Amino acid sequence: MTEPAGKHGQLYAELFAAWAIAKKDIRIYYLKPNIIVSGAMFPLFMFLAFAVGRPAEPAVMIPGLVAITILFSASSIEPVSIPIERRVRTFDRLVSAPVSLHAVVLGESLSGFLYSIGIALVPLAAGLVIFRTPIISVFPLVFGILLTAFCFATMGTLFAAYPTESPGDIMSMLNMVRLPLIFISGVFIPVESVPAVGQAVVWLSPLTYGNDLIQASYHGHTHFNPLIDMAMLCIFILIFQVAANRLYKKFNE
Amino acid sequence: MQAIEVSHLTKRFGNLTALDDVSFSVSGGETFGFLGPNGAGKTTTIRILTGISTPTGGTASIFGKDIIRDTIASRKEMGIVHETSNVYDDLTAWQNLMFTAELYAVGKQMREKRAAELLDLFGLLERRDDRVRGFSKGMKRRLTLAMGLVNNPRLLFLDEPTSGLDVQSNLIIRDVIRDLNAQGVTVFLTTHNIEEANLACDRVAIINRGRIAAIDSPERLKKTIQSVQSVEVAFDSASPRRMDDLRQLPGVSEVRKEGDKFRLFTEDPSLVIDAVTAYAKAENARILSLSTFGPSLEDVFIRLTGLGIRTRGVTTVD
Repeated sequence: MTEPAGKHGQLYAELFAAWAIAKKDIRIYYLKPNIIVSGAMFPLFMFLAFAVGRPAEPAVMIPGLVAITILFSASSIEPVSIPIERRVRTFDRLVSAPVSLHAVVLGESLSGFLYSIGIALVPLAAGLVIFRTPIISVFPLVFGILLTAFCFATMGTLFAAYPTESPGDIMSMLNMVRLPLIFISGVFIPVESVPAVGQAVVWLSPLTYGNDLIQASYHGHTHFNPLIDMAMLCIFILIFQVAANRLYKKFNE
Repeated sequence: MQAIEVSHLTKRFGNLTALDDVSFSVSGGETFGFLGPNGAGKTTTIRILTGISTPTGGTASIFGKDIIRDTIASRKEMGIVHETSNVYDDLTAWQNLMFTAELYAVGKQMREKRAAELLDLFGLLERRDDRVRGFSKGMKRRLTLAMGLVNNPRLLFLDEPTSGLDVQSNLIIRDVIRDLNAQGVTVFLTTHNIEEANLACDRVAIINRGRIAAIDSPERLKKTIQSVQSVEVAFDSASPRRMDDLRQLPGVSEVRKEGDKFRLFTEDPSLVIDAVTAYAKAENARILSLSTFGPSLEDVFIRLTGLGIRTRGVTTVD
Protein backbone atom coordinates (compact mmCIF):
# COMPACT_ATOMS: atom_id res chain seq x y z
CA MET A 1 0.00 0.00 0.00
CA THR A 2 2.88 2.37 0.74
CA GLU A 3 5.38 3.60 -1.82
CA PRO A 4 8.19 1.22 -2.83
CA ALA A 5 11.16 1.06 -0.50
CA GLY A 6 14.72 1.82 -1.48
CA LYS A 7 16.91 4.85 -1.08
CA HIS A 8 14.99 7.12 -3.45
CA GLY A 9 11.62 5.73 -2.39
CA GLN A 10 12.40 6.51 1.23
CA LEU A 11 13.77 9.98 0.43
CA TYR A 12 10.54 10.69 -1.44
CA ALA A 13 8.52 9.38 1.51
CA GLU A 14 10.47 11.61 3.91
CA LEU A 15 9.95 14.75 1.83
CA PHE A 16 6.32 13.85 1.17
CA ALA A 17 5.69 13.39 4.90
CA ALA A 18 7.51 16.64 5.73
CA TRP A 19 5.30 18.50 3.28
CA ALA A 20 2.20 16.80 4.70
CA ILE A 21 3.19 17.97 8.20
CA ALA A 22 3.79 21.50 6.92
CA LYS A 23 0.39 21.58 5.16
CA LYS A 24 -1.31 20.28 8.29
CA ASP A 25 0.34 22.98 10.44
CA ILE A 26 -0.54 25.72 7.98
CA ARG A 27 -4.19 24.60 7.93
CA ILE A 28 -4.49 24.25 11.68
CA TYR A 29 -2.27 26.96 13.13
CA TYR A 30 -1.22 29.54 10.54
CA LEU A 31 -4.32 30.18 8.47
CA LYS A 32 -6.20 31.61 11.41
CA PRO A 33 -7.25 35.25 11.19
CA ASN A 34 -5.74 36.14 14.57
CA ILE A 35 -2.37 34.59 13.66
CA ILE A 36 -2.27 36.38 10.30
CA VAL A 37 -3.35 39.73 11.73
CA SER A 38 -0.98 39.60 14.71
CA GLY A 39 1.83 38.53 12.39
CA ALA A 40 1.14 41.43 10.04
CA MET A 41 0.88 43.92 12.92
CA PHE A 42 4.14 42.80 14.50
CA PRO A 43 6.43 44.78 12.15
CA LEU A 44 4.39 47.92 12.79
CA PHE A 45 4.84 47.67 16.55
CA MET A 46 8.52 46.88 16.17
CA PHE A 47 8.89 49.88 13.89
CA LEU A 48 7.19 52.16 16.40
CA ALA A 49 9.32 50.75 19.23
CA PHE A 50 12.59 51.40 17.47
CA ALA A 51 11.90 54.36 15.17
CA VAL A 52 9.85 56.76 17.24
CA GLY A 53 12.03 59.41 18.86
CA ARG A 54 15.15 58.39 16.95
CA PRO A 55 16.90 60.67 14.48
CA ALA A 56 17.28 57.89 11.90
CA GLU A 57 15.18 58.05 8.75
CA PRO A 58 12.34 55.50 8.78
CA ALA A 59 13.68 54.16 5.52
CA VAL A 60 16.95 53.23 7.23
CA MET A 61 15.03 51.04 9.65
CA ILE A 62 13.38 48.87 6.98
CA PRO A 63 16.12 46.22 6.43
CA GLY A 64 16.50 45.64 10.18
CA LEU A 65 12.75 45.54 10.54
CA VAL A 66 12.54 42.84 7.85
CA ALA A 67 15.21 40.81 9.68
CA ILE A 68 13.49 41.09 13.07
CA THR A 69 10.11 40.27 11.58
CA ILE A 70 11.56 37.08 10.12
CA LEU A 71 13.23 36.19 13.43
CA PHE A 72 10.00 36.43 15.40
CA SER A 73 7.48 35.17 12.84
CA ALA A 74 9.54 32.11 11.83
CA SER A 75 10.23 30.96 15.37
CA SER A 76 6.96 31.71 17.15
CA ILE A 77 4.34 29.16 16.11
CA GLU A 78 6.05 25.77 16.49
CA PRO A 79 6.95 26.44 20.15
CA VAL A 80 3.21 26.86 20.69
CA SER A 81 1.81 24.19 18.38
CA ILE A 82 4.15 21.34 19.33
CA PRO A 83 3.45 21.45 23.11
CA ILE A 84 -0.27 21.59 22.29
CA GLU A 85 0.12 18.56 20.03
CA ARG A 86 1.97 16.80 22.84
CA ARG A 87 -0.93 17.55 25.17
CA VAL A 88 -3.60 16.16 22.83
CA ARG A 89 -1.28 13.31 21.78
CA THR A 90 -1.38 14.13 18.06
CA PHE A 91 2.39 14.52 18.21
CA ASP A 92 2.57 10.74 18.82
CA ARG A 93 1.29 10.32 15.25
CA LEU A 94 4.31 12.14 13.88
CA VAL A 95 6.95 10.36 15.94
CA SER A 96 5.47 6.92 15.19
CA ALA A 97 5.12 7.48 11.42
CA PRO A 98 7.39 5.51 9.07
CA VAL A 99 9.71 8.47 8.53
CA SER A 100 12.80 9.73 10.35
CA LEU A 101 12.68 12.47 12.96
CA HIS A 102 14.54 14.62 10.42
CA ALA A 103 11.38 14.60 8.28
CA VAL A 104 9.26 15.59 11.29
CA VAL A 105 11.63 18.46 12.18
CA LEU A 106 11.76 19.56 8.54
CA GLY A 107 7.97 19.50 8.22
CA GLU A 108 7.46 21.50 11.39
CA SER A 109 10.07 24.03 10.25
CA LEU A 110 8.66 24.33 6.72
CA SER A 111 5.38 25.77 7.93
CA GLY A 112 7.13 28.43 10.03
CA PHE A 113 9.37 29.19 7.08
CA LEU A 114 6.46 29.79 4.68
CA TYR A 115 4.51 31.83 7.24
CA SER A 116 7.56 33.95 7.94
CA ILE A 117 8.12 34.75 4.27
CA GLY A 118 4.51 35.87 3.97
CA ILE A 119 4.81 38.12 7.03
CA ALA A 120 8.19 39.53 5.88
CA LEU A 121 6.44 40.85 2.78
CA VAL A 122 4.60 43.37 5.00
CA PRO A 123 7.62 45.51 6.03
CA LEU A 124 9.16 44.89 2.63
CA ALA A 125 6.09 46.26 0.87
CA ALA A 126 5.78 49.11 3.39
CA GLY A 127 9.38 50.07 2.66
CA LEU A 128 8.76 50.13 -1.06
CA VAL A 129 5.33 51.76 -1.09
CA ILE A 130 5.29 54.10 1.92
CA PHE A 131 8.94 55.06 2.45
CA ARG A 132 10.11 54.58 -1.13
CA THR A 133 13.11 52.63 0.13
CA PRO A 134 14.96 51.43 -2.96
CA ILE A 135 16.22 47.85 -3.23
CA ILE A 136 19.63 47.94 -4.86
CA SER A 137 20.16 44.21 -5.26
CA VAL A 138 17.49 41.52 -5.26
CA PHE A 139 19.85 38.54 -4.98
CA PRO A 140 20.99 39.04 -1.36
CA LEU A 141 17.46 40.03 -0.38
CA VAL A 142 15.93 36.80 -1.69
CA PHE A 143 18.64 34.58 -0.22
CA GLY A 144 18.69 36.62 2.98
CA ILE A 145 14.95 36.19 3.51
CA LEU A 146 14.84 32.51 2.52
CA LEU A 147 17.83 31.37 4.57
CA THR A 148 17.04 33.54 7.61
CA ALA A 149 13.42 32.37 7.63
CA PHE A 150 14.41 28.73 7.38
CA CYS A 151 17.12 29.14 10.01
CA PHE A 152 14.79 30.67 12.61
CA ALA A 153 11.94 28.30 11.78
CA THR A 154 14.32 25.41 12.55
CA MET A 155 15.43 27.20 15.71
CA GLY A 156 11.78 27.41 16.82
CA THR A 157 11.34 23.69 16.17
CA LEU A 158 14.54 23.00 18.12
CA PHE A 159 13.30 24.88 21.18
CA ALA A 160 9.94 23.09 20.90
CA ALA A 161 11.77 19.79 21.47
CA TYR A 162 11.81 20.63 25.18
CA PRO A 163 9.43 18.02 26.63
CA THR A 164 6.62 20.14 27.97
CA GLU A 165 2.92 20.43 27.24
CA SER A 166 2.92 24.12 28.14
CA PRO A 167 3.85 26.58 25.36
CA GLY A 168 4.78 29.19 27.98
CA ASP A 169 7.73 27.08 29.16
CA ILE A 170 9.24 27.13 25.69
CA MET A 171 8.40 30.74 24.84
CA SER A 172 10.14 32.01 27.96
CA MET A 173 13.31 30.10 27.06
CA LEU A 174 13.08 31.18 23.45
CA ASN A 175 12.71 34.86 24.34
CA MET A 176 15.80 34.64 26.52
CA VAL A 177 17.64 33.96 23.27
CA ARG A 178 15.64 35.96 20.71
CA LEU A 179 15.51 39.31 22.45
CA PRO A 180 19.27 39.66 23.04
CA LEU A 181 19.85 38.70 19.39
CA ILE A 182 18.25 41.98 18.28
CA PHE A 183 20.94 43.97 20.06
CA ILE A 184 24.00 41.96 19.11
CA SER A 185 23.30 41.32 15.45
CA GLY A 186 23.74 44.74 13.89
CA VAL A 187 20.02 45.15 13.27
CA PHE A 188 19.64 48.72 14.51
CA ILE A 189 23.19 49.30 15.69
CA PRO A 190 25.87 48.51 13.07
CA VAL A 191 28.06 45.56 14.01
CA GLU A 192 31.07 47.90 14.20
CA SER A 193 29.29 49.99 16.85
CA VAL A 194 28.21 47.09 19.05
CA PRO A 195 29.99 47.34 22.46
CA ALA A 196 33.07 45.18 23.01
CA VAL A 197 31.14 42.60 25.03
CA GLY A 198 28.64 42.24 22.19
CA GLN A 199 31.38 42.05 19.57
CA ALA A 200 32.53 38.79 21.08
CA VAL A 201 29.17 37.14 20.49
CA VAL A 202 28.11 38.83 17.25
CA TRP A 203 29.55 35.88 15.36
CA LEU A 204 27.38 33.46 17.26
CA SER A 205 24.10 35.01 16.15
CA PRO A 206 22.47 33.74 12.94
CA LEU A 207 20.59 37.03 12.81
CA THR A 208 23.91 38.81 12.21
CA TYR A 209 24.34 37.04 8.89
CA GLY A 210 20.70 37.24 7.84
CA ASN A 211 20.59 40.92 8.64
CA ASP A 212 23.89 41.48 6.83
CA LEU A 213 22.47 39.98 3.64
CA ILE A 214 19.23 41.95 3.84
CA GLN A 215 21.12 45.18 4.60
CA ALA A 216 23.26 44.51 1.53
CA SER A 217 20.24 44.50 -0.72
CA TYR A 218 19.36 48.02 0.49
CA HIS A 219 22.80 49.57 1.05
CA GLY A 220 24.93 47.67 -1.44
CA HIS A 221 27.61 46.57 1.00
CA THR A 222 27.97 43.86 3.63
CA HIS A 223 29.96 43.62 6.84
CA PHE A 224 30.87 40.07 5.89
CA ASN A 225 31.07 38.59 2.42
CA PRO A 226 27.56 37.56 1.20
CA LEU A 227 28.86 34.05 0.59
CA ILE A 228 30.06 33.90 4.20
CA ASP A 229 26.64 35.10 5.33
CA MET A 230 24.91 32.37 3.32
CA ALA A 231 27.38 29.71 4.40
CA MET A 232 26.98 30.65 8.07
CA LEU A 233 23.19 30.57 7.81
CA CYS A 234 23.39 27.11 6.20
CA ILE A 235 25.68 25.93 9.02
CA PHE A 236 23.23 27.23 11.63
CA ILE A 237 20.35 25.47 9.85
CA LEU A 238 22.32 22.23 9.87
CA ILE A 239 23.22 22.58 13.55
CA PHE A 240 19.62 23.34 14.54
CA GLN A 241 18.29 20.46 12.42
CA VAL A 242 20.71 17.89 13.84
CA ALA A 243 20.30 19.17 17.41
CA ALA A 244 16.51 19.11 17.08
CA ASN A 245 16.61 15.57 15.73
CA ARG A 246 18.72 14.42 18.69
CA LEU A 247 16.63 16.20 21.28
CA TYR A 248 13.32 14.86 19.95
CA LYS A 249 14.85 11.37 19.99
CA LYS A 250 16.16 11.83 23.53
CA PHE A 251 12.96 13.29 24.94
CA ASN A 252 10.77 10.65 23.27
CA GLU A 253 12.30 8.16 25.68
CA MET B 1 7.46 -15.73 10.23
CA GLN B 2 6.19 -14.26 13.48
CA ALA B 3 4.38 -10.92 13.32
CA ILE B 4 6.02 -9.85 16.58
CA GLU B 5 9.04 -11.45 18.20
CA VAL B 6 10.18 -10.04 21.52
CA SER B 7 13.24 -11.49 23.21
CA HIS B 8 14.56 -10.61 26.68
CA LEU B 9 13.34 -7.06 26.40
CA THR B 10 14.46 -4.78 29.22
CA LYS B 11 13.83 -1.09 29.75
CA ARG B 12 15.21 0.94 32.62
CA PHE B 13 14.53 4.57 33.48
CA GLY B 14 17.29 5.38 35.96
CA ASN B 15 16.77 3.01 38.87
CA LEU B 16 13.29 2.03 37.75
CA THR B 17 12.99 -1.17 35.73
CA ALA B 18 9.90 -0.74 33.57
CA LEU B 19 10.40 -3.98 31.62
CA ASP B 20 12.32 -6.91 33.01
CA ASP B 21 13.39 -9.64 30.60
CA VAL B 22 10.12 -9.74 28.66
CA SER B 23 9.84 -12.36 25.91
CA PHE B 24 6.86 -13.35 23.78
CA SER B 25 5.88 -13.81 20.17
CA VAL B 26 2.72 -13.14 18.20
CA SER B 27 1.89 -15.18 15.11
CA GLY B 28 0.63 -13.68 11.87
CA GLY B 29 -3.16 -13.33 11.88
CA GLU B 30 -3.39 -13.74 15.65
CA THR B 31 -5.35 -11.41 17.93
CA PHE B 32 -3.10 -11.01 20.95
CA GLY B 33 -4.28 -9.36 24.16
CA PHE B 34 -1.85 -7.51 26.40
CA LEU B 35 -3.29 -7.02 29.85
CA GLY B 36 -1.87 -5.48 32.96
CA PRO B 37 -2.61 -2.95 35.67
CA ASN B 38 -1.53 0.67 35.32
CA GLY B 39 2.25 0.99 35.43
CA ALA B 40 2.78 -2.68 34.59
CA GLY B 41 4.78 -1.92 31.44
CA LYS B 42 2.12 -2.08 28.70
CA THR B 43 2.77 1.41 27.31
CA THR B 44 6.54 0.96 27.51
CA THR B 45 6.22 -2.28 25.53
CA ILE B 46 4.08 -0.61 22.86
CA ARG B 47 6.45 2.36 22.62
CA ILE B 48 9.35 -0.01 22.01
CA LEU B 49 7.41 -2.14 19.52
CA THR B 50 6.41 0.96 17.55
CA GLY B 51 9.98 2.28 17.52
CA ILE B 52 9.31 5.37 19.62
CA SER B 53 11.43 4.22 22.54
CA THR B 54 14.68 2.24 22.57
CA PRO B 55 15.07 -0.77 24.89
CA THR B 56 17.91 -0.95 27.39
CA GLY B 57 18.41 -4.58 26.43
CA GLY B 58 16.91 -7.36 24.34
CA THR B 59 15.45 -7.34 20.86
CA ALA B 60 12.10 -6.86 19.16
CA SER B 61 11.19 -7.49 15.55
CA ILE B 62 8.14 -6.90 13.40
CA PHE B 63 7.69 -9.45 10.60
CA GLY B 64 11.39 -10.27 10.89
CA LYS B 65 12.57 -6.64 10.80
CA ASP B 66 14.45 -5.39 13.83
CA ILE B 67 12.52 -2.46 15.25
CA ILE B 68 15.70 -0.71 16.41
CA ARG B 69 17.87 -1.15 13.33
CA ASP B 70 15.06 -1.09 10.77
CA THR B 71 12.52 1.16 12.44
CA ILE B 72 11.02 2.75 9.35
CA ALA B 73 10.56 -0.52 7.44
CA SER B 74 8.98 -2.06 10.55
CA ARG B 75 6.60 0.86 10.98
CA LYS B 76 5.40 0.54 7.38
CA GLU B 77 3.91 -2.82 8.32
CA MET B 78 1.88 -1.45 11.22
CA GLY B 79 -1.07 0.73 12.02
CA ILE B 80 -1.23 2.34 15.43
CA VAL B 81 -4.39 3.30 17.29
CA HIS B 82 -3.29 5.23 20.34
CA GLU B 83 -5.15 5.17 23.64
CA THR B 84 -6.25 8.78 23.23
CA SER B 85 -8.36 9.66 20.19
CA ASN B 86 -5.56 11.77 18.80
CA VAL B 87 -7.34 13.31 15.84
CA TYR B 88 -6.90 16.88 14.64
CA ASP B 89 -10.02 18.73 15.78
CA ASP B 90 -9.50 21.59 13.32
CA LEU B 91 -9.33 19.30 10.31
CA THR B 92 -12.23 17.46 8.70
CA ALA B 93 -12.53 13.68 8.93
CA TRP B 94 -11.36 13.47 5.32
CA GLN B 95 -8.35 15.74 5.93
CA ASN B 96 -7.37 13.68 8.99
CA LEU B 97 -7.34 10.52 6.90
CA MET B 98 -5.49 12.18 4.02
CA PHE B 99 -2.83 13.52 6.39
CA THR B 100 -2.25 10.11 8.00
CA ALA B 101 -2.08 8.44 4.59
CA GLU B 102 0.46 11.01 3.44
CA LEU B 103 2.63 10.25 6.47
CA TYR B 104 2.66 6.65 5.23
CA ALA B 105 3.32 7.76 1.62
CA VAL B 106 0.13 6.14 0.36
CA GLY B 107 -0.43 7.16 -3.26
CA LYS B 108 -3.17 9.71 -4.04
CA GLN B 109 -5.64 7.38 -5.77
CA MET B 110 -5.18 4.66 -3.20
CA ARG B 111 -5.52 6.97 -0.20
CA GLU B 112 -8.70 8.51 -1.53
CA LYS B 113 -10.20 5.10 -2.24
CA ARG B 114 -9.12 3.74 1.12
CA ALA B 115 -10.36 6.82 3.03
CA ALA B 116 -13.80 6.60 1.42
CA GLU B 117 -14.00 2.87 2.26
CA LEU B 118 -12.98 3.43 5.87
CA LEU B 119 -15.33 6.34 6.43
CA ASP B 120 -18.13 4.17 5.09
CA LEU B 121 -17.06 1.20 7.22
CA PHE B 122 -17.06 3.31 10.39
CA GLY B 123 -20.31 5.12 9.62
CA LEU B 124 -18.67 8.51 9.08
CA LEU B 125 -19.03 8.99 5.33
CA GLU B 126 -21.79 11.58 5.64
CA ARG B 127 -19.63 13.62 8.01
CA ARG B 128 -16.46 13.41 5.91
CA ASP B 129 -16.27 17.17 5.33
CA ASP B 130 -17.18 18.20 8.87
CA ARG B 131 -14.55 19.40 11.28
CA VAL B 132 -13.80 16.76 13.87
CA ARG B 133 -14.28 19.32 16.65
CA GLY B 134 -18.04 18.68 16.46
CA PHE B 135 -17.75 14.88 16.61
CA SER B 136 -18.87 12.81 19.59
CA LYS B 137 -16.33 10.78 21.58
CA GLY B 138 -17.41 7.60 19.81
CA MET B 139 -17.11 9.19 16.36
CA LYS B 140 -13.61 10.44 17.17
CA ARG B 141 -12.65 6.97 18.33
CA ARG B 142 -13.96 5.44 15.12
CA LEU B 143 -12.04 8.00 13.09
CA THR B 144 -8.89 7.21 15.10
CA LEU B 145 -9.31 3.55 14.21
CA ALA B 146 -9.89 4.44 10.55
CA MET B 147 -6.66 6.48 10.60
CA GLY B 148 -4.83 3.44 11.99
CA LEU B 149 -6.03 1.35 9.06
CA VAL B 150 -5.51 3.84 6.22
CA ASN B 151 -2.16 2.28 5.22
CA ASN B 152 -3.69 -1.21 5.12
CA PRO B 153 -1.36 -2.57 7.82
CA ARG B 154 -0.48 -6.23 8.39
CA LEU B 155 -0.20 -5.54 12.11
CA LEU B 156 -2.50 -3.28 14.09
CA PHE B 157 -1.67 -1.95 17.56
CA LEU B 158 -4.88 -1.15 19.39
CA ASP B 159 -4.51 0.64 22.69
CA GLU B 160 -7.75 0.58 24.68
CA PRO B 161 -9.93 0.77 21.55
CA THR B 162 -13.36 0.73 23.20
CA SER B 163 -12.67 2.43 26.51
CA GLY B 164 -15.63 4.55 27.61
CA LEU B 165 -17.51 4.37 24.30
CA ASP B 166 -21.19 4.33 23.47
CA VAL B 167 -22.80 1.02 22.48
CA GLN B 168 -22.92 1.79 18.74
CA SER B 169 -19.23 2.69 18.52
CA ASN B 170 -18.33 -0.32 20.65
CA LEU B 171 -20.18 -2.69 18.34
CA ILE B 172 -18.73 -1.16 15.18
CA ILE B 173 -15.18 -1.37 16.52
CA ARG B 174 -15.59 -4.94 17.75
CA ASP B 175 -17.00 -5.99 14.39
CA VAL B 176 -14.11 -4.36 12.59
CA ILE B 177 -11.55 -6.10 14.80
CA ARG B 178 -13.26 -9.43 14.08
CA ASP B 179 -13.25 -8.72 10.32
CA LEU B 180 -9.59 -7.67 10.39
CA ASN B 181 -8.72 -10.90 12.13
CA ALA B 182 -10.67 -12.84 9.51
CA GLN B 183 -8.66 -11.04 6.82
CA GLY B 184 -5.41 -12.20 8.42
CA VAL B 185 -4.43 -8.91 10.05
CA THR B 186 -2.50 -9.40 13.28
CA VAL B 187 -3.99 -7.42 16.15
CA PHE B 188 -2.05 -6.46 19.28
CA LEU B 189 -4.75 -5.38 21.70
CA THR B 190 -4.05 -3.57 24.94
CA THR B 191 -7.11 -3.26 27.10
CA HIS B 192 -8.39 -2.90 30.62
CA ASN B 193 -11.62 -4.55 29.49
CA ILE B 194 -10.87 -8.14 30.38
CA GLU B 195 -14.12 -9.43 28.92
CA GLU B 196 -13.20 -7.76 25.64
CA ALA B 197 -9.88 -9.60 25.64
CA ASN B 198 -11.65 -12.81 26.56
CA LEU B 199 -14.00 -12.50 23.59
CA ALA B 200 -11.57 -11.12 21.00
CA CYS B 201 -8.18 -12.66 21.68
CA ASP B 202 -6.63 -15.93 20.57
CA ARG B 203 -4.03 -15.54 23.30
CA VAL B 204 -3.49 -13.18 26.18
CA ALA B 205 -0.36 -12.03 27.97
CA ILE B 206 -0.64 -10.68 31.47
CA ILE B 207 2.14 -8.31 32.43
CA ASN B 208 2.76 -7.16 35.96
CA ARG B 209 5.56 -5.02 37.37
CA GLY B 210 7.46 -5.24 34.09
CA ARG B 211 7.39 -9.03 33.89
CA ILE B 212 5.17 -11.41 31.95
CA ALA B 213 3.07 -13.26 34.52
CA ALA B 214 1.33 -15.58 32.06
CA ILE B 215 0.73 -16.12 28.34
CA ASP B 216 -1.89 -18.49 27.02
CA SER B 217 -5.35 -18.69 25.51
CA PRO B 218 -8.10 -17.26 27.74
CA GLU B 219 -9.62 -20.70 28.32
CA ARG B 220 -6.31 -22.29 29.29
CA LEU B 221 -5.58 -19.43 31.66
CA LYS B 222 -8.94 -19.90 33.31
CA LYS B 223 -8.21 -23.59 33.81
CA THR B 224 -5.13 -22.74 35.82
CA ILE B 225 -7.35 -21.43 38.58
CA GLN B 226 -10.31 -23.79 38.52
CA SER B 227 -10.37 -23.40 42.29
CA VAL B 228 -11.84 -19.93 41.84
CA GLN B 229 -15.46 -20.86 41.13
CA SER B 230 -18.49 -19.05 42.35
CA VAL B 231 -22.20 -19.34 43.06
CA GLU B 232 -24.39 -16.32 42.39
CA VAL B 233 -27.63 -16.07 44.31
CA ALA B 234 -30.45 -13.52 44.53
CA PHE B 235 -33.11 -13.50 47.27
CA ASP B 236 -36.57 -11.94 47.19
CA SER B 237 -35.99 -10.05 50.42
CA ALA B 238 -33.12 -8.08 51.96
CA SER B 239 -31.56 -8.64 55.35
CA PRO B 240 -28.88 -6.54 57.05
CA ARG B 241 -27.21 -9.72 58.31
CA ARG B 242 -27.17 -11.48 54.95
CA MET B 243 -23.53 -10.84 54.02
CA ASP B 244 -22.33 -12.12 57.41
CA ASP B 245 -24.67 -15.11 57.27
CA LEU B 246 -23.54 -16.13 53.79
CA ARG B 247 -19.90 -15.74 54.76
CA GLN B 248 -20.44 -18.35 57.53
CA LEU B 249 -21.78 -21.00 55.13
CA PRO B 250 -19.60 -24.10 54.66
CA GLY B 251 -17.27 -24.00 51.64
CA VAL B 252 -17.53 -20.23 51.11
CA SER B 253 -14.19 -18.44 50.94
CA GLU B 254 -15.48 -14.94 50.16
CA VAL B 255 -18.75 -13.12 49.51
CA ARG B 256 -19.24 -10.11 47.28
CA LYS B 257 -22.42 -8.11 46.79
CA GLU B 258 -23.05 -7.39 43.11
CA GLY B 259 -26.16 -5.27 42.69
CA ASP B 260 -29.12 -7.24 44.09
CA LYS B 261 -27.13 -10.48 43.97
CA PHE B 262 -24.45 -12.13 46.12
CA ARG B 263 -21.46 -13.91 44.67
CA LEU B 264 -20.01 -16.64 46.83
CA PHE B 265 -16.51 -17.83 45.91
CA THR B 266 -15.74 -21.46 46.56
CA GLU B 267 -13.75 -24.52 45.63
CA ASP B 268 -16.90 -26.68 45.93
CA PRO B 269 -19.98 -25.16 44.24
CA SER B 270 -22.13 -28.19 45.02
CA LEU B 271 -21.55 -27.86 48.74
CA VAL B 272 -22.34 -24.14 48.63
CA ILE B 273 -25.56 -24.68 46.63
CA ASP B 274 -26.80 -27.11 49.29
CA ALA B 275 -25.83 -24.67 52.03
CA VAL B 276 -27.53 -21.71 50.34
CA THR B 277 -30.74 -23.68 49.79
CA ALA B 278 -30.78 -24.75 53.43
CA TYR B 279 -30.05 -21.18 54.56
CA ALA B 280 -32.93 -19.81 52.44
CA LYS B 281 -35.33 -22.34 53.94
CA ALA B 282 -34.22 -21.55 57.47
CA GLU B 283 -34.51 -17.80 56.91
CA ASN B 284 -37.82 -18.17 55.08
CA ALA B 285 -36.30 -16.33 52.10
CA ARG B 286 -37.20 -17.20 48.52
CA ILE B 287 -34.35 -17.76 46.04
CA LEU B 288 -35.01 -15.74 42.85
CA SER B 289 -32.00 -17.01 40.91
CA LEU B 290 -29.07 -19.33 41.52
CA SER B 291 -26.18 -19.75 39.05
CA THR B 292 -22.69 -21.20 39.10
CA PHE B 293 -19.70 -19.65 37.39
CA GLY B 294 -16.27 -20.93 36.48
CA PRO B 295 -13.27 -18.65 36.91
CA SER B 296 -13.29 -15.64 34.59
CA LEU B 297 -10.30 -14.13 32.84
CA GLU B 298 -10.70 -11.28 35.29
CA ASP B 299 -10.14 -13.75 38.13
CA VAL B 300 -6.95 -14.91 36.44
CA PHE B 301 -5.87 -11.31 35.97
CA ILE B 302 -6.54 -10.43 39.59
CA ARG B 303 -4.79 -13.52 40.82
CA LEU B 304 -1.69 -13.02 38.71
CA THR B 305 -1.37 -9.30 39.29
CA GLY B 306 -2.26 -9.44 42.96
CA LEU B 307 -4.74 -6.61 42.49
CA GLY B 308 -7.33 -8.01 44.88
CA ILE B 309 -7.64 -10.78 47.41
CA ARG B 310 -10.87 -12.51 46.63
CA THR B 311 -9.67 -16.09 46.63
CA ARG B 312 -8.69 -16.81 50.18
CA GLY B 313 -7.72 -20.37 50.85
CA VAL B 314 -7.21 -21.48 47.27
CA THR B 315 -4.07 -22.72 45.66
CA THR B 316 -1.91 -20.01 44.14
CA VAL B 317 -0.71 -20.15 40.59
CA ASP B 318 2.85 -19.38 39.53
